[in-house]
Amino acid sequence: MSDRAFTFVTKLKALFTQRRADAAFDEELNIHLEMLAEKYEREGMSAREAARAARRQFGNATVLKQRQREARTTMFFANVWRDVRYGVRQLAKTPVFTIVCVLTLALGVGANTAVFSVMHAVLVRMLPVQDASRVFYLHTTGWPDGVSQTGDADTSFSYAIYRALSERSGLQEVMAYIPMSSTGNAPVRVGTEPEEAAGDMVSGNYFSGLGVGTRLGRGFVQNDEDNHTSVTVISESFWTTHYGHSRDVIGKTLYIKSIPFTIVGVAIKGFEGTEGRRSLDFWIPLQSGPEFNAWGSPAEHGTYLTRQTFWCMKLLVRTAPGVSREQALARAQAVFEQAAYTGITHKHAGEPTYQLSFTDAKQFDSQDDSFARPLKTLMAMVGLVLLIAMSNVVMLLMARNASRQREFAVRLALGAGRKEMVRQLLTESVLIVALGGIAAWAFALGATRALGAWAHIESNLQPDRTVLWFTLSVLLLLALVFGLAPLRAAMSSGSEMMLRSSAMVSQSSSQMMRAGNAVIVTQIAMCVVLLVGAGLLLGTLRNLLNTPLGQKPQGLLVFGVYPQHTHTAEERIAFFVSLQQRLRTIPGVESVSMVANRPGSGWSNNDSGLLVDSHKPNGIEPEQASFRGNIVGADYFHTMGVQVVQGRDFSDADSPSAPKTVIVNETFAKKYLGASNAVGHILTDPKGTDPSLIIGVVKDHKYTGITEQARPMLWTAYMQGGPVNQLNVEMRVQGDPMAMLPTVRKVLTQIDPDMPMLEPLTQSAVFEQSISQQALFARLAGCFGMLAVVLIATGLYGTLAYRVSRRSAEIGVRMALGAQRSQVVWMVLRGSLLLCAAGVVLGVPLAIAAGKGLESSLYGMKSLNATSYVFAILGVALVALLASAVPARRAANVSPTSALRME
Amino acid sequence: MAADKSEVLQGTLDLMVLKTLQALGPLHGFGIARRIEQLSEDVLTLNEGTVYTSLLRLQQKSWIASEWGVSENNRRARFYSITKRGLKQLAVETENWERIAAVIGRVLALEVRA
Repeated sequence: MSDRAFTFVTKLKALFTQRRADAAFDEELNIHLEMLAEKYEREGMSAREAARAARRQFGNATVLKQRQREARTTMFFANVWRDVRYGVRQLAKTPVFTIVCVLTLALGVGANTAVFSVMHAVLVRMLPVQDASRVFYLHTTGWPDGVSQTGDADTSFSYAIYRALSERSGLQEVMAYIPMSSTGNAPVRVGTEPEEAAGDMVSGNYFSGLGVGTRLGRGFVQNDEDNHTSVTVISESFWTTHYGHSRDVIGKTLYIKSIPFTIVGVAIKGFEGTEGRRSLDFWIPLQSGPEFNAWGSPAEHGTYLTRQTFWCMKLLVRTAPGVSREQALARAQAVFEQAAYTGITHKHAGEPTYQLSFTDAKQFDSQDDSFARPLKTLMAMVGLVLLIAMSNVVMLLMARNASRQREFAVRLALGAGRKEMVRQLLTESVLIVALGGIAAWAFALGATRALGAWAHIESNLQPDRTVLWFTLSVLLLLALVFGLAPLRAAMSSGSEMMLRSSAMVSQSSSQMMRAGNAVIVTQIAMCVVLLVGAGLLLGTLRNLLNTPLGQKPQGLLVFGVYPQHTHTAEERIAFFVSLQQRLRTIPGVESVSMVANRPGSGWSNNDSGLLVDSHKPNGIEPEQASFRGNIVGADYFHTMGVQVVQGRDFSDADSPSAPKTVIVNETFAKKYLGASNAVGHILTDPKGTDPSLIIGVVKDHKYTGITEQARPMLWTAYMQGGPVNQLNVEMRVQGDPMAMLPTVRKVLTQIDPDMPMLEPLTQSAVFEQSISQQALFARLAGCFGMLAVVLIATGLYGTLAYRVSRRSAEIGVRMALGAQRSQVVWMVLRGSLLLCAAGVVLGVPLAIAAGKGLESSLYGMKSLNATSYVFAILGVALVALLASAVPARRAANVSPTSALRME
Repeated sequence: MAADKSEVLQGTLDLMVLKTLQALGPLHGFGIARRIEQLSEDVLTLNEGTVYTSLLRLQQKSWIASEWGVSENNRRARFYSITKRGLKQLAVETENWERIAAVIGRVLALEVRA
């Protein structure tokens, strides 16, 4: 083998020294001949005789030279180059064929690459940390009663647990990280313009423990955590966008929540934090100030450092080398069971033991499969699309090669070897695949970016090396299939056969026709599956969009405000009250209110436990009376466009000094008061304290999202207490809500220059975002369905057109014998309709099976939705008819005389 | 006369060239042809040109190397010399050859049983 390698390398080198080597060899031969002649002369021959004897003894010098030249270098490249040029000429001769093939491949392979790239990034790619196999996310199955918790249920732990695990569990490192707020963003200021940026508050060993280096400066050290230093590390992309890659960034000041932080480092490129789909802009060490309480929560009852029952820290662990995952988990579990009850007076009898678990340090913590399921479905869909695309190109190639049989026959007859012919055909298919591959990669890059944007994933999804290998292997496979599948059609009969009349050949290809029919039927079946799937998902999307929300989100602007420089609850209430007054005065603003959790954002306060007029609520155990809650401002329901069924809306009169009031929804009134007449009743907590008066009942409306079922809900006014750090302003304005932004921004800057508008959106957009995943899923499925239809149409058209052209002699004979044009047309149409029917028969059961798999992704419809099936079948039939219309017309226009004469 | 001479066995020429270069050191093509002619004592016919085919083959496998120099009668000539890889290969080939020769010898020595 190595000898061969040496030979090949030498031959390659010889390619470039061809001419010199020829000259050198000539010289060598001449010298040899001269020396030989001299020898003969010395032995007594005459000069002429000696020269002739020398040549005789030497052998045929010309043949030797030629052979040496061929042996010296390789003909491989010359041959390939010749094949490529010939192939390019052949493809250029049939531009439509070439373009159709390349585009088909680009779409088929490109869609696969894009979806695979996203799937790979989301489901497989590990965090860019050192030795990721020893790094794990920490999860828990639950938390003791009496713990208050962030809502990120299974990944929240208390500071006490963090300390206990770091100190006693034998884990090499325990890294803690806490988002700045429930959206992950915090107000920051680089220059003069305040804005929001995503950041985490992290433990001192975060960078060193993960093994993530810095591009510039340093990461954090333990001292930063212990002393809560005001330093920050920024991400590479934040550095690029905000500091233009300047090396002087170290030592500059970044204002976070209007507190100055010194930039000490820039994280390495590619590290965007450990928050899954959100990419982070900055990190700060764990802080102790009340404004930096975990998740931006109010610090009235203490911060995450002082309130032992506040579970809010996310944890990553690195196991010690040589310790197995199970051993490490077992030790951590023991420490956890103890530390979980820090600050809790007593453990309930019969409370289960909560279990810790490790999950792999992937870019996306894999605990929830909200991405996995749709992605796998999409992957299956694009896989089908690729199959259709592939069989299309194969059929096109087969048809093309079959019609080139004359060319092949001539070449064979002129002495071309079968090996050369095969190489030539392979070269052509490799050319097509290469062109298609390049187009596919470009398409995939764009599609991946679009997918990321639509799915609201900020972290990097771009194809990496693994994806490139995936695509290359798909392409290689395609090149082989495309090269080899049509070969038989091209090479099946010998040269003598093909040189005879081509009309004869058309009869010998019934086997090929059967193969082609099978491919078309399969394609149509797959198309039916894709169309049914797309129909179901689009129907789901329509149901989601048409779901009544019970409010009027149109014309509403919503943005978050985080009051800086306010230290007590009273100051904050006063701030928001005056803000509301100020905003009402803006011209064009119809009404203004405040809300803690944006409707449609998915967030909600979930509580339980109440008494109605000091009694059990409608016979239900007080502890088990659960309800959702929200904290809102005056005029809230009026601003949102929610109908108040009974009583009144909150007003400015519901001030801190007035008696506490509450508004409930109809479901609440029905479930806990047993009557729709709820106004005037008093709600208290189960101990009978903290009374509030029901002043109104509102119609049920959507709160967390569109798919939500009606649940008991109550609203309280922020003016009357309730821990509030940050509120969303809801503004009903005339005209386009977003057009109001500059005016509002100016007003806010006047109040506080460090205060940005947090996530300004229209309220409609908030609801749209709550179904963005379903919408994306449905639209993509629709796209793939359409793509499949287009592919089927071109494939069917190509095949039928080819068949009609092959049968023109037969059709001519039929017409000469008296067949009507309509009969000829019907003959072609019937063929394609029969194929279509067979495809549908095969496809429907497959679609039923696929629909079962989709069931959990559907909303408001069954997987056996008749409309979807009818549309799919009609669609396929229509496509079949359209695709066969042109060939049918061509068949009808065959002139019997010229068709017969041609053969 | 030609009937008395044996054709050079396929592949044995390479071995002969290698051995010659190993025994005599750097040599030009003419010298190699002379040496083989001399040693074969006119038993083998050889188109001298084929020596060059063999030389090219050996060079491509990096078993021999060549450089231009001056011959004993002051002519420019290309001198071939055996490389380390070539020496190794020679040892292998020699052993092979001897084994095969021994086997063939034994086969030919079998006496027909009466």
